[in-house]
Amino acid sequence: MSVVRLIARDEWRLMVRNRVAVIGLCLTVLLTLVAIATSWTHQRGVADLRARHQAAASEAFDAQPDRHPHRVVHYGHFIFRPLGPLAAFDPGVDAFTGNSMFLEGHRQNTANFGDVRQSSLLIRFGQLTPAFVLQVVAPLLLIFLGYGAIARETESGTLRPLMLQGASRAWIVLGKSMALGAVALIVGAPAMAGLALIATQSDTSLFPVLAIAIGYAGYLALWTAAIVLVSAIVHRRRDALLALIAIWAVTVVLLPRVAPDIASVRYPLANRIQTDVAIARDLRAMGDSHDPDDRHFAAFKQRTLARYGVSRIEDLPVNYKGLLALEGEQMTSALFDRYSSQSFATQEQQNALVRAIGFLSPTIALRSLSMAAAGTDLAGHRRFLKQAEAYRYSLVQRLNRLQAEGVTYADDNADDAGADRRKRVTAANWQAIPDFAYRPMAGSDGAIAALSGLAVILGWLIAAALALAWATRRLGTR
Amino acid sequence: MPTNPPPSIVLEDVILAYGEHRVLDGLSLSVAPGSIYALLGGNGAGKSTTLSALLGFAKPESGTILVSGIDPAIAPDDARRQVAYLPENVALYEHLSAVENSDYLLALSGSPRSRDTIITALDAAGLQERAWDQRLGGFSKGMRQKVAIAVALLREVPVLLLDEPTSGLDPRATGDFNRLAIAVRDRGTAILMVTHDLLSAIDIADRIGFLDAGRIAEEVEAAGPDRFDIRALHARFAGPVAV
Repeated sequence: MSVVRLIARDEWRLMVRNRVAVIGLCLTVLLTLVAIATSWTHQRGVADLRARHQAAASEAFDAQPDRHPHRVVHYGHFIFRPLGPLAAFDPGVDAFTGNSMFLEGHRQNTANFGDVRQSSLLIRFGQLTPAFVLQVVAPLLLIFLGYGAIARETESGTLRPLMLQGASRAWIVLGKSMALGAVALIVGAPAMAGLALIATQSDTSLFPVLAIAIGYAGYLALWTAAIVLVSAIVHRRRDALLALIAIWAVTVVLLPRVAPDIASVRYPLANRIQTDVAIARDLRAMGDSHDPDDRHFAAFKQRTLARYGVSRIEDLPVNYKGLLALEGEQMTSALFDRYSSQSFATQEQQNALVRAIGFLSPTIALRSLSMAAAGTDLAGHRRFLKQAEAYRYSLVQRLNRLQAEGVTYADDNADDAGADRRKRVTAANWQAIPDFAYRPMAGSDGAIAALSGLAVILGWLIAAALALAWATRRLGTR
Repeated sequence: MPTNPPPSIVLEDVILAYGEHRVLDGLSLSVAPGSIYALLGGNGAGKSTTLSALLGFAKPESGTILVSGIDPAIAPDDARRQVAYLPENVALYEHLSAVENSDYLLALSGSPRSRDTIITALDAAGLQERAWDQRLGGFSKGMRQKVAIAVALLREVPVLLLDEPTSGLDPRATGDFNRLAIAVRDRGTAILMVTHDLLSAIDIADRIGFLDAGRIAEEVEAAGPDRFDIRALHARFAGPVAV
C-alpha cells in the first residue's frame, strides 16, 4: 500500500473511531437524502399544480361566449411559469419571484404569488434542497472532520516522526487531502445521485447536469483543499477550527446574504408604487385618443384617412376604434417595455455587483452557476417575463385587430336594442388563439451561463492548490 | 587483515547558524556501527541542533554530515530512511494501540511486519502483554519509549538517534532502557545519544563527547574493565563537587 493511502487510511480510522464524526457524516447523508426526496416531491407537486392551473385558465379563456373583442382584452388571461425538473435540485429564485401573471390590455402586470410571500419567513433562510445541503452544510461537516488533519500532527508532535518514517511532506498532505476528499465524495454522492435521478426522470439536457456536477465537485474539492491548507499552516487544532469557522461564516453565510443588500443600495431599484406613478404620468403625457385636439392622435387619424383615401372615419373599410386600440396598445407597450428594460438593466447592474462579490465568495459563484444551469436564476425569470409580454402583446393586438376587422365602426358606436348582439364576434376566434407555451432555455445555453461561476470556482481551486503546495514545503520546518 | 567498517554517522567540521547565532561551530564526531556515542553538554550547547542536522531538518553552512553515507541536507528523505529517532517525548498516535502504532509506522517506512513479529518486538522491548492492544491514551513515557524502540528494532535501520531518552524515567525504567539500547547496539546499530544523564552515558556508551559552544570540547573512550572514571567525567562535565 502506498504511503499516501496509508496516511489516508489512518485518517479514516481516526474518523471512524470518533463517534461524533460518524454521526455527523451519517446525519448529513441522511439530510441530503431527505432533501432530495422532499425537493423532488415539492417540484413535481408545484409543476403539476401550475400545469393544472394553466389548463384551467386556458379552458376558462376559451370558454368565453361570443362577445366584443375588447371585452376579451379586459377579460384577460392567466399564465403560469412552468417549473423545470432541475428546480428539484436548485429552485433558485423561484420561491422569491412570482410564478403567475395576469395578461390584459393596456397594462403590463408583474408576476405574482411567489412562495415567500405566502410562507413563513423561515423560507428566506434557505429551503431544504440538495443544493442548500451541499452549499452550506457540507463545508461545515468537512471543517469539523478535517480541521485537525495536519494541525493535530503538529500539535501532538507526531508530524516529525511521521516524516522520519520516510513520509515526505507532499505524501502527508496528499494522504490527508485524499482522506478528506473521500469524505467529501461520500457527502456529495447522494446529491449527485439525486441529480442523476432527476436528469433520467425527465428530458433534461445533459450539459446543465454536467455543469452542476462539475461545479459542486469543484466546490467540495475547494473546501477540502482549504481545510487541509489551514490545518497545515496553523499549529494548533483550536486555531484551525476557529479560522475555518470564520471563513465559512463569511463566505457561506455573510457575503451571500449581504451582497444583494450592497447591490440594492449601490443600484437602487424603483419600487412598484414609484413605477406605477411614473408610468401613469407618462401615459397622461402620451395623449388621449378621445381628445380631438390631441396632436398625436389627430395626426394618426389624418394618416389613417390618407392611407385609405377617405375623408371620414365612418368611410373607412375597417373599424377606426380597433385601429386606435392597435395604436394605443403599441404605444403603451413601448412605454412598458422601456420601464421594464430600465428595471432589468438595474437588476443586471445589481447582479454584476453580486457576481463581482462572488470573486470573494465561491459560494456566491456556485449559487450563480447552480441556478443558471438549473434555469432557476433571475435570467430564467426574465426569460419568462419576456415571453409572457410577447404573448400578451400578440394576444391583445390580435383581439384589437379582430375589433378593427370583425366589428364595424357603426355597430361599435351603436346603442340600439340589437347593437350589443352585432358587436359580438364568435368565440371560435379566441379558441383559435394558441395557448401560451413557455420555451425554457436550451440545455447548452444553461451550461454556457454556468461557465462564469465555474471559472471562479476553478480559479479558487487553483489558488488553494498553489497555497497548499507552498504550505507543504514549509511543513514541519518550525 | 580486517578493516574497520566506515562510520554510520559522520559530522566533520560542521558550522550551522540560526540567523546570527552560530549553534554548531566546527563540530566533528563519528559513530561506528555497533557502538554508542553519548553526546553530553549544557543547555544551548547544540545537542538538539546536531540531531536536527542529522535528520535533515537543519542545514549546515559548511562541513560534512553523512548518515550511512547519505547527506541529509541533500537527500533528507533518503537519509531518514536509514534512521530511527527517539525524541525526548515520544509522540505516537493516541487513537491507535501499541500494535497498531507499530504496524502503521512500519508500513509507512516501507518495512511492514506481521502482528506476530510486532508482538515479539514489543515483548523484547519490555512492553507488558496487556498493553499490546491498548490505545496509547494511558501509556507512561517509558511505555511509549518501548513501543518506539520496538519499531526501531523492527525497522532494522543502521542508525539510532536518541534525544534525552532517560529524562523523566524512574531508575528501573532507565535500567530497562539502557539494556534495550545495548541490545540494539549489539545488533550492529550505530547509536548517537544526546543526554544530560551522565550515569546512563557511563553505563552504555562506548564513547562520550562533551559539547561546548557548538564543538566537541573533549572526547573520552571506554577503555578496560573500569570503562570510564566517573569522578573525572563528572568533574569535567559539571565542575568539581564543592565540599
